[in-house]
Amino acid sequence: MRVVIAEDQVLLREGLGRLFEDAGDEVVASLGSADGLLAAIAEHDPDLVVLDIRMPPTFTDEGARAAREVKQAHPELGVLVLSQHIETTHAVELVALGGFGYLLKDRVLAVGEFLASAERVAEGGSALDPKVVASLVSARGEDHQLAELTERECEVLQLMAEGLTNAGIAKRLYLSERTIEAHVRHVLTKLDLPVSEDGHRRVLAVLAHLSATQEPLR
Amino acid sequence: MDEHASAQAAARGDRGDSAAWAQVGRVARGGQLTARRIAALIWGLCLVIALAALALLAIGPGRVLPSDVFSGVGGMSFLVLAMTFASVGVLVARRVPESRIGWIFLLTGLANCVQLLTWQYADVGLHATDLLPGASAAAVFNSVISEATAGLLGLSLLLFPDGRLPSRRWRPALASLFVGMALLVLTGTIRPGRYAEPFAQVSNPFGVSGARGVIDGVDFAGWLFVIAGIGLGAAAMVVRLRRARGIERQQLELVLVVGSVAATVAALVMATWLVWPTGHLQMRIALLGLCFASVPLAAGVGILRYRLYEIDLVVNRTLVYVALTVILAAAFAVTVVLLGTLLGRGSGWATAAATLVVAVAFRPLRARLQDVVDRRFNRARYDALRRVANFLEDLRAGRATPEEVEPVLREVLSDPRLELLFFLPESELYVDARGVPVSDIPDDGRERIPVERGGQPLGVVLHDPATQDNPILLRRVVEAGGLAIEIARLHVALRRQLAEVEASRARIVAAGNEERRRLERDLHDGAQQRLVSIGLALRHAQHELSTSSPERARHTLDGALAEVALSIDELRELAHGLPPAQLDAGLGPALRELARRVPARVEVKAPGERFDRGVETAAYFIACEGLTNAVKHADATRIVLSAGRENGKLVVSVSDDGAGGATPTPGSGLSGLADRVAAYGGSLRIESDRGAGTTLVAELPCGS
Repeated sequence: MRVVIAEDQVLLREGLGRLFEDAGDEVVASLGSADGLLAAIAEHDPDLVVLDIRMPPTFTDEGARAAREVKQAHPELGVLVLSQHIETTHAVELVALGGFGYLLKDRVLAVGEFLASAERVAEGGSALDPKVVASLVSARGEDHQLAELTERECEVLQLMAEGLTNAGIAKRLYLSERTIEAHVRHVLTKLDLPVSEDGHRRVLAVLAHLSATQEPLR
Repeated sequence: MDEHASAQAAARGDRGDSAAWAQVGRVARGGQLTARRIAALIWGLCLVIALAALALLAIGPGRVLPSDVFSGVGGMSFLVLAMTFASVGVLVARRVPESRIGWIFLLTGLANCVQLLTWQYADVGLHATDLLPGASAAAVFNSVISEATAGLLGLSLLLFPDGRLPSRRWRPALASLFVGMALLVLTGTIRPGRYAEPFAQVSNPFGVSGARGVIDGVDFAGWLFVIAGIGLGAAAMVVRLRRARGIERQQLELVLVVGSVAATVAALVMATWLVWPTGHLQMRIALLGLCFASVPLAAGVGILRYRLYEIDLVVNRTLVYVALTVILAAAFAVTVVLLGTLLGRGSGWATAAATLVVAVAFRPLRARLQDVVDRRFNRARYDALRRVANFLEDLRAGRATPEEVEPVLREVLSDPRLELLFFLPESELYVDARGVPVSDIPDDGRERIPVERGGQPLGVVLHDPATQDNPILLRRVVEAGGLAIEIARLHVALRRQLAEVEASRARIVAAGNEERRRLERDLHDGAQQRLVSIGLALRHAQHELSTSSPERARHTLDGALAEVALSIDELRELAHGLPPAQLDAGLGPALRELARRVPARVEVKAPGERFDRGVETAAYFIACEGLTNAVKHADATRIVLSAGRENGKLVVSVSDDGAGGATPTPGSGLSGLADRVAAYGGSLRIESDRGAGTTLVAELPCGS
């Protein structure tokens, strides 16, 4: 996997680089800001771009804006945004684009899961931080449909929202893929969602349901 | 202001006036002191003459002739007339020596006094006693001047109220008067033969005999000139009235109204000569004299602007009651005549019925007349005051808001540029109806009318004097609107205070939010990121240990440890903005600790006493901000920092010897400080004259 990193803090940038390299991936470019990101992508043709959401000069949402630009120029390219804090609306909007990840920075310490998310995003899947998903679910506390789910089904729903595939969920929950498939079917039926393939459309449907009380997806 | 205006008038020169008055003008310009002394001298002379005439009058001619018009009460009343002229003249001449009108009045008084004295002297000398020498000469002199003195009246009319002609074109009127008076003096001098009664025993020593017919013709011509001059004088008054605005208009109105009433009464009195040629002659003469005396009196009041504002009302009431008297008298007469014809002459019933009619008609008629007079003669005031009264009524009934007083004043005074500014005593500011402070009132020719209630200034009305020529109306309207203005002012003051409180609260919240944002960012971008990178380094070390390079792992772990040390430093920095731990030991130790960190000599005076923790924290931050300002902006080298209890308040003061000139601009540290102090219900005072250092005093309530 060829990776481009844009992160203003030197130590973190280096740490991320080492993390990917330790896993056998290739870091083709490391940038200190969002400037020159498009040029670097054009030059190195990476599989994945990892960027910090807050970068110079204003330290507000340079990363998010750069991510959108990258997505517009290269819709097939995976983009993983790292953030310092939970920002639901923004995150859900970005993830709905597909081939997109939104993770809190401290996820990098769980190296295995982080790399799995990165790979999923690079392959066109999505990755939404569990804390964001949790906040979406808790925002739907009054939802009777969610209340009908069993505890296990709820876990499955959250992992679906995070962007995991059936295989990924099975692995995470130490269950067989077949069991997960059954859970997924139940969840989708209970929530009146179309029983679609294992993929981005399913993630979209789940997110749309979860964020219905919030602003609609654009 | 009177003197200023008159001086301006004098400076404009004596265009269109005769040389005689230029002489008086020169005297006036030669020195006001001299002029005032001369005026007093002339008046004293008049008084002496008048007293002498009065003494002769008391002696009397010793016999009664119908032609003794100036004996007894008749003479006395004319002495009053002469002295009125002289007294008004001296008052005006002393107050405004540049104005010729005072001198003309003085001269008129003097001429009349001389005329009366010579008359009394001749009358007494010829008829009562032989002790007075030169009685015949007095009779001759009296005859020379008596006719000409009438012309002086025309002079007053022509030159009232500023002592100048309305324009150069009026010069012929002046010439006509002088020619007429000269002719009358001439004919008085050379008319041959014996004089008329009561001086019939004296014959004119200067008489030119044989020319009687010519002299009578010249006399007639002289009268024509004088009457023309007087007529033109009256016309000049009317012309002036048309042009006049403001004060001058009031002066003219006053004199014209009084003059008209006097003329009417005089005409009625003279008409009695046609009905009763004899009898009560002196009484009638006396009435005439008093009538005439009212005119110079009115003129004096007008010129000296003595309570001119009330004159309006006096004129108004005079008109109402004169008309009322005439109408009621007519009604009485008509009723008596009609009923008398019906019931037979001398019927008591007729008189009783007429009285009843008058009694019943009095009140409604008076109200009706008042209304008519108000409408006809003072339409503007009538409408304006009614409109203001209606507005106040609406205000009481809650149909109008007090803020509408400004539009109402605009409408009533037909001045679209009129502005009402409220005075806020606590901040000593003028603000408009929206509460926006007006730092300096524009000097654009608009008149400033202060509004007061109970001696307290409420505000000021800025008004264009060109749109309104009636200062009384203006004053009355503003006075009438006083209550509404006061309420509006209270509203404005209250709204301003509320806005100030709201703004201050918003600033406190914003400052709090900003502080939170700063903390959050510092934590996210600093400590949190560092911890993440430390975690990454540890993971990497883990990886290195498992892939057989422990040397490199040691290196990675060293880096991680260095990061941990940096994180600790960063967190300590962050905690700096929070209430310091030193406050645990009290305000005094905390302030001393604070002073040690400042690169300047700081003297700390603080007690060991403990206060509420919140108040101590506020005091600590005030001291911080004050010290920061002193060091950063004022380049201070010596700073005194003190904190202590005074009258139940914790008073914190920071004074330095720096540049001074500090002002709390929005968003500045000082402004934030003021808000912080206000949040604790305290007050902040900044004394910072440029070059004199800065003293910052905050008073925080701290309970008992």
